[in-house]
Amino acid sequence: MRIIFIVAAAALLAAAAGGPAHAHAFLEHAEPRVGSTVPTSPRELVLFFNENIEPAFSSVQVSDANGARVDLGKPRIGASTMRVGLKNLTSGTYRVRWHVLSVDTHTTEGNFTFHVKQ
Amino acid sequence: MSRSMLCRLALAGFATVAFATQALAHCFVGARFFPATLATDDPCVADEISMPTVSWSRTADIPPAREWDLSGEYSKRITDNFGISVGQTWTQIRQADGTLASGFQNLETTFQYQILKDPSRELAILSGLEIEWGRTGSTGADLADRFSTLTPTLYFGKGFGDLPDSFSWIRAFAVTGQVGYQVPTSSFDFIQNAFIPQQLVYGASLQYSMPYLKSEIIDLQLPDFFNHLIPVVEVSLTTPIANNFGNPYTTTGTVNPGVIWVGSYFQVGLEAMIPINRESGSGIGVLGQLHLYLDDMFPKSIGQPLFGAATAPSRKLTF
Repeated sequence: MRIIFIVAAAALLAAAAGGPAHAHAFLEHAEPRVGSTVPTSPRELVLFFNENIEPAFSSVQVSDANGARVDLGKPRIGASTMRVGLKNLTSGTYRVRWHVLSVDTHTTEGNFTFHVKQ
Repeated sequence: MSRSMLCRLALAGFATVAFATQALAHCFVGARFFPATLATDDPCVADEISMPTVSWSRTADIPPAREWDLSGEYSKRITDNFGISVGQTWTQIRQADGTLASGFQNLETTFQYQILKDPSRELAILSGLEIEWGRTGSTGADLADRFSTLTPTLYFGKGFGDLPDSFSWIRAFAVTGQVGYQVPTSSFDFIQNAFIPQQLVYGASLQYSMPYLKSEIIDLQLPDFFNHLIPVVEVSLTTPIANNFGNPYTTTGTVNPGVIWVGSYFQVGLEAMIPINRESGSGIGVLGQLHLYLDDMFPKSIGQPLFGAATAPSRKLTF
């Protein structure tokens, strides 16, 4: 019990001191928003994460209801954002699949849809 | 060899070393995150600490005694798929007449092996052996047994995110569970003059992930606090099933509705403990826990498995 307490106390102190920690990269929000309906074709998709991500090991694709790619290829990656250009989208449902490696080497992934209704 | 070739090889080597330890760590299975539940175990090995876990309840005695439990558990991955947990509980029981008993329960150790993580189905299966070491606690205060128990246990977790999109908000639900068979190392307690039963120890949780709802289904633009919540209902039960001569085969346990707030480095959980019958307790108790994600707090030191930090070579993702 004493050992557990000491390790826990050390961990809490390190966290409180803002140590070198970096966590898993969660999707904070997206544009177009997750599950939203937009009235016109968006020019690009932007994903915002809560941690910085590694460009070489992070990727995103957008596909239509038939599975055909509608993104313009290689994403542009900032510190904690990933954006990719989109083709001209017609009315329909589009699926986004993303996979990122945060700078602490943890991988996370997810997928969601958004809708275009012109 | 040309200088540019050497440079490229050096960069490739650096990248291999730098990313050889990419990991999922605490309980991520595809897009699903299973939080550490309070009364039952989550279905993954991980580097984590539950400290403290505090509970207050009234026992099934007549009149009921008031019981405080304060516990801690440290879990360490030895390899990516094999982990060991060590935990202990300090207990204080105050009888209705004011008599006080306090001390440690027996030390517990759990060995766990990750059998399966299927990201596309959000399915995780874990096997384990829980050992309570006899005579390591306060046997004099009657808070710890003089015998050990061994409980082979199977754990599972399943998210509903693989349901069709038409199921919409239902896809944020997940269930976890565990089933164990507890075998004592003695069959008869000569002090209590009673048989020591073999028991089925089992439990489950139903959880609704607001983080999953926001990032996978629909972003309702709720205040950030709510996007970190996972409402949960846990059930934790024990049923004697063998070597219980002369005693009733009554199932005891609690139903625990509550909520877990999940952050990047820690989570906080709070649950009510509702006894399922008179034999399980008197009135509603409370259970709370602070849980630290060591793999996120210390990703390059104690948050890594001791051996073989990655099961697969790093790869460049190409969609």
